[in-house]
Amino acid sequence: MEKIRVLIAKPGLDGHDRGALVISQALRDHGMEVIYTGLRQSPVQIATAAIQEDVDVVGLSSLSGAHNTLFPKVVEELRKRNAEDIPVIGGGVIPNEDIPFLLEKGIKRIFTSGSSTDELARYIKQLVRPDEALDPPKRINHIGIAVNRLEDALPFYTDVLGLSVEAIEEVESEGVKVAFLKIAETRIELLEPLHEQSPIKKFLEKRGEGIHHIALEVDDIEERLAQMKRKGIQLVNEEPKEGAKKSKIAFIHPKAANGVLVELCEQTGGGDV
Amino acid sequence: MTYQHENAQSRWEKEVEDILKRFPERKDEFQTSSGIPVERLYGQDQPDYDLGFPGQYPYLRGIQPTMYRSRLWTMRQYAGFGSAAETNKRFRYLLEQGQTGLSVAFDLPTQIGYDSDDAMSEGEVGKVGVAIDTLADMEKLLEGIPLDKVSTSMTINAPAAILLCMYIAVGEKQGVPSEKLTGTIQNDILKEYIARGTYIFPPKPSMRLITNIFAYCQEHSPKFNTISISGYHIREAGSNAVQEVAFTLANGMAYVDAAIESGLDVDAFAPRLAFFFNAHNNFFEEIAKFRAARRIWAKIMKEHYKAKNPRSWKLRFHTQTGGSTLTAQQPDNNIVRVTLQALAAVLGGTQSLHTNSRDEALALPTEESARIALRTQQIIAHESGVADTVDPLGGSYYVEALTDEIEEKVMDYLERIKEYGGAVQAIEEGFMQREIQQNAYETQKRIENGEEIIVGLNRFTVEEDVNPELLKVDEALGKEQIENLERIRAERNNEEVKEKLDILRKHAQNPDKNLIPAILDAVKAYASVGEICHVLRDEFGEYTGS
Repeated sequence: MEKIRVLIAKPGLDGHDRGALVISQALRDHGMEVIYTGLRQSPVQIATAAIQEDVDVVGLSSLSGAHNTLFPKVVEELRKRNAEDIPVIGGGVIPNEDIPFLLEKGIKRIFTSGSSTDELARYIKQLVRPDEALDPPKRINHIGIAVNRLEDALPFYTDVLGLSVEAIEEVESEGVKVAFLKIAETRIELLEPLHEQSPIKKFLEKRGEGIHHIALEVDDIEERLAQMKRKGIQLVNEEPKEGAKKSKIAFIHPKAANGVLVELCEQTGGGDV
Repeated sequence: MTYQHENAQSRWEKEVEDILKRFPERKDEFQTSSGIPVERLYGQDQPDYDLGFPGQYPYLRGIQPTMYRSRLWTMRQYAGFGSAAETNKRFRYLLEQGQTGLSVAFDLPTQIGYDSDDAMSEGEVGKVGVAIDTLADMEKLLEGIPLDKVSTSMTINAPAAILLCMYIAVGEKQGVPSEKLTGTIQNDILKEYIARGTYIFPPKPSMRLITNIFAYCQEHSPKFNTISISGYHIREAGSNAVQEVAFTLANGMAYVDAAIESGLDVDAFAPRLAFFFNAHNNFFEEIAKFRAARRIWAKIMKEHYKAKNPRSWKLRFHTQTGGSTLTAQQPDNNIVRVTLQALAAVLGGTQSLHTNSRDEALALPTEESARIALRTQQIIAHESGVADTVDPLGGSYYVEALTDEIEEKVMDYLERIKEYGGAVQAIEEGFMQREIQQNAYETQKRIENGEEIIVGLNRFTVEEDVNPELLKVDEALGKEQIENLERIRAERNNEEVKEKLDILRKHAQNPDKNLIPAILDAVKAYASVGEICHVLRDEFGEYTGS
């Protein structure tokens, strides 16, 4: 597969290119071919370079406050040259209130101060090659086991197997109380229904105690769901919802996975999980 | 070392050993931003430092004998946006609030020598600073501000000579002779090539303009600081503390070399050289950095350049807190960052200080944010007590060890730059740029993998909607500025402008001519920044990056 080609450009007179340079280097480390224009490029110069270099995406950086004038001009100059299929993204010091205007003018996305370069690289990959295989799931995050009562089930895991309880918490959205037992990189998740409407209650009534689901840890849960949807894979949740321990989760229908309920989960960054 | 001390030390070492078995330390290795390893404890061998005295060579402890006990540092907040009239209002507000010096931010077209109506200026007029096209704008900018009483710092580099001439011309109109003017022009083109990007001409003619200013001011404005050799932007571009000092001092040496080569005596201009550093996050490393820079520069000036006037040995510096350390997330946290950075600058002996506003990662500061930033300095000055003794951290085992270590690492860099043939060649070959970029990239990676913690960014985050009140530059301003410029062009004596520009062109063609008198004449005839720069572009060419 050919490398994704990116043009990183500094429109206007702004001389702050630390961000542009760091991003160029980071995208190269992500396997992309990056062309950096250098300082003081006019929208015409940027559009011309994008076409000549046959890039897949243009990234604009501005810290001087000229973004509202210059970013839309780049989109316009590309359109004039019949190259509106080259997506334009932007970043720098850009107040939140300016973002809707820029999106309306055809900039695909704005990355503001504090964005991570990994996030940017993933975004570009999805933008340019939406159907390219995503990285496979990283690990089995946990195996969910439906139980009638946590206190009856726990002694086997703690006293007999000798595992320790990492956390017990209630997940309102699923109507369950869960206990996590850590085993090396993964966990066993015991699920007790909180009320009659809980899906776990229904599961127990139908099948009795037993393995309920397998959770696979992934990045980009939204992108992955969108991609699966495009491929016609039957999903229980088309949008992620909040799961235990501040994660984002979504279930794939058992029909799509040989009768196994598969959960996708993404640990959301930042805080101590 | 006494027996008692040895005894206590071995007891401590034993205890450390026991504790480490049960509780490992937070990290395997502690380091400063410059990669200097940080020991568990300093001073175990009770080193005996010869620190010298403040006000005496090599000025480790400060350049004045009494430092802030006599006079506090100058509180100088950088400001400027939109039109000259609007910025004039902000200046008067800051002076009323107790600020003691002005600092002018110019917009990018002014800094790169384009008029507001130039196609290159589109979208940039009045954005990051005030737009100045002709002397008329400068008159409005300084209206009602007594230039014999207020010192003014101007962040202007490639066209520094033009803005300096405008300042002199406004002074004349106020009845203040140029000899009485005080202030600073940044005038540091080398760091523009390295880190800041507002260059116009290639290095050689740029160095000529700079040495022309040195020579002119020595005679006509002897109280004006003719250059502010800046590490600030080098640090903002991603360097560490050691690189900041090393590259700044290397640039300083390049200016001294150029001035000597142009025939000036070192003691004639060196007392007017000023410096400008960043105050970053690593508290003790920053304090040590300022102290080390002072000692190194004194040695260079005395031993290498054989300057005889003690004023030539003194490194006087302005400090600004680190803009790139501010986060857009939880912006009020920035007030705390700025406080610590400002404290480091004061403990490091700065001569003047700008404290950043909490909202600068989002936009230009609002009036309220700018006031909190100034109040931060006033609280340090008047409430904390740190200004009541000279160099309060002098003799701290840790600070002195760091100071020595930074000096050593800076000297290594200066040696490498010398091997390139000096700062100008090192820049032309991209050496400093590469070093800075590598460090910037590594810093970013450390932040992204959580090795370096930025509160509110990669730890202790909250869901928030950051939409504070931001300062907006009126979009109509560009149009107004262009109309004003057109009016000036219609009203001025265009014959005279042409004549003065022709003289400037002739002088530019003769490398032995000092260009300042011709620029001053053109400015007084209301020739614009763009017109003057276009003449010089024709003659000197343009720098296009390395």
